[in-house]
Amino acid sequence: MNIKRCLTLTRAGIIESLQFRLGALVVVAGNLLYLVVIYHLWQAIFASVGTETVNGMTFTDTLIYLVLATALFNFMEMYVVWEMGHAIQTGEITIQLLKPMKYRSYMFWSYSGTAVTQFFFTFLPTFIIVAIVTNGAIPLGLNLLFFVISVMLAISINYSIDFLTGTICLYTESTWGINIMKQVIVLLMSGATIPLAFFPEPLKTIVNYLPFQSIYNAPLSVLLDGNPEPAKLLTTLGIQLFWCVVMNIASRLFWKLSLKRITVNGG
Amino acid sequence: MKRKSLGFYFRIYRKILAQDLKSKMSYRADFIISTIGMIFTNIAGFVSFWILFQNFPSINGWGYYEMLFLYGFSLVSLTPVQCFFDNNWALRNQVYSGDFIKYCFRPINMFFYFQSEVFDIKGLGQFAFGLGTLIYSWNKLGLEFSPLMLLKMIVFLITASLIMIALQNAAAATCFWIQNSFFVLDLVTKFKDYARYPITIFSPVFRFIFTFVIPIAFIAYYPSLVVLRPDEVPILSWISPIVALVFFFLSYKLWMRGAMKYNGTGA
Repeated sequence: MNIKRCLTLTRAGIIESLQFRLGALVVVAGNLLYLVVIYHLWQAIFASVGTETVNGMTFTDTLIYLVLATALFNFMEMYVVWEMGHAIQTGEITIQLLKPMKYRSYMFWSYSGTAVTQFFFTFLPTFIIVAIVTNGAIPLGLNLLFFVISVMLAISINYSIDFLTGTICLYTESTWGINIMKQVIVLLMSGATIPLAFFPEPLKTIVNYLPFQSIYNAPLSVLLDGNPEPAKLLTTLGIQLFWCVVMNIASRLFWKLSLKRITVNGG
Repeated sequence: MKRKSLGFYFRIYRKILAQDLKSKMSYRADFIISTIGMIFTNIAGFVSFWILFQNFPSINGWGYYEMLFLYGFSLVSLTPVQCFFDNNWALRNQVYSGDFIKYCFRPINMFFYFQSEVFDIKGLGQFAFGLGTLIYSWNKLGLEFSPLMLLKMIVFLITASLIMIALQNAAAATCFWIQNSFFVLDLVTKFKDYARYPITIFSPVFRFIFTFVIPIAFIAYYPSLVVLRPDEVPILSWISPIVALVFFFLSYKLWMRGAMKYNGTGA
């Protein structure tokens, strides 16, 4: 694959998303408001128990976990399902299929630009503010490196799931419903709404066998663990890699099969 | 412009509504999937409460069923904004593309005409789920049930609805000034998720902010207290219907102000 071609798409995406600087400001403000709500809610929750840690998580851990999960969501959410559904409904997809590039990579690289700007304008500010507010509760060491690796794997898994969901739109011609179902399942099962540590037993085991926990729970637990045991770290990243490969293959295969069925209205 | 009677508007609304429903019915699968998606979101909210209360007996003196009551209350009160004012989401696109100009040339109220064009059926799924939650928790809490109570309930549900409608109108109207109002609308939509927590968990500063600056507490907390804890109803609950009317009126004025200064784009 021609890397220059991909980076051109990234660049175009960056320029395009820079048009909406005010949007980034609103997103960061929204994250801060969420921080306030989450802070008070979990403070009240922990106060009602009276112990320092619940299920191995302190109040600060929970706070960092949840706010950064939202920040991660903001920059990983590429609205792929939305775009694909729109392209299918309007027939725009025919033009995109004719491009001298695989549709899957074309979509990914056109969105990578937005991801880059979102990272610098929404994730990083939120991260820094959280680090300051929690007074150094985020361990800053080698774990940051592993966190970055883990996030990259998470982006890939998330994209595969999005692409898979988007492909379903070829069959249903419905976007909103499919997208919201995907979003709800991913956010709940990945620990982005409530940290997985709090899940009651049978549910916790089930969730651990699903790919979703690799998207938010894995990178965040890597980040929060200051000096991890090598075995535990390797398992987390290994599982992520496994899902990354599996979902990648699954989404490619499903797309290939579905493309034969494509119907485009009008013309 | 001559004032039209309420009956006139009612008749027109029925006609426009029928057109919208006819066009929706041609995408039956989309309707079914969207409704399922909507109920999915509501179930996810339910499940996250359930998980929380598996770990904690109460939050700031609020038990499981009381929280469910608040949740059900907010879902029901959100139905009107979902069903009748969903076109607000399309406002920014219409303003951007110039399509909005058509509303400026009709001999009826612009705000009315714009909002009446879309009726979102999937809100009904949310209504059913919310009502179920409300009745379930009402039963479990052993709250008294009398015609007077029911009347109070309805009045305060409408109050809560008006507040949410007002917030959304104002958020959508920002697109007359800042072009892309998606992020603002998205932020306001998140408010409804915060509304399901009792305001007492916040520190006094934020209690003030969420009551008087961003009136989230009026979406569910203050109105529902009238039924939920009839012995300790704060004065803010009693005046909330007036607050709702004022907010709705202000948001309407803001919306119309934006619409009046709109001068179209392109040719």
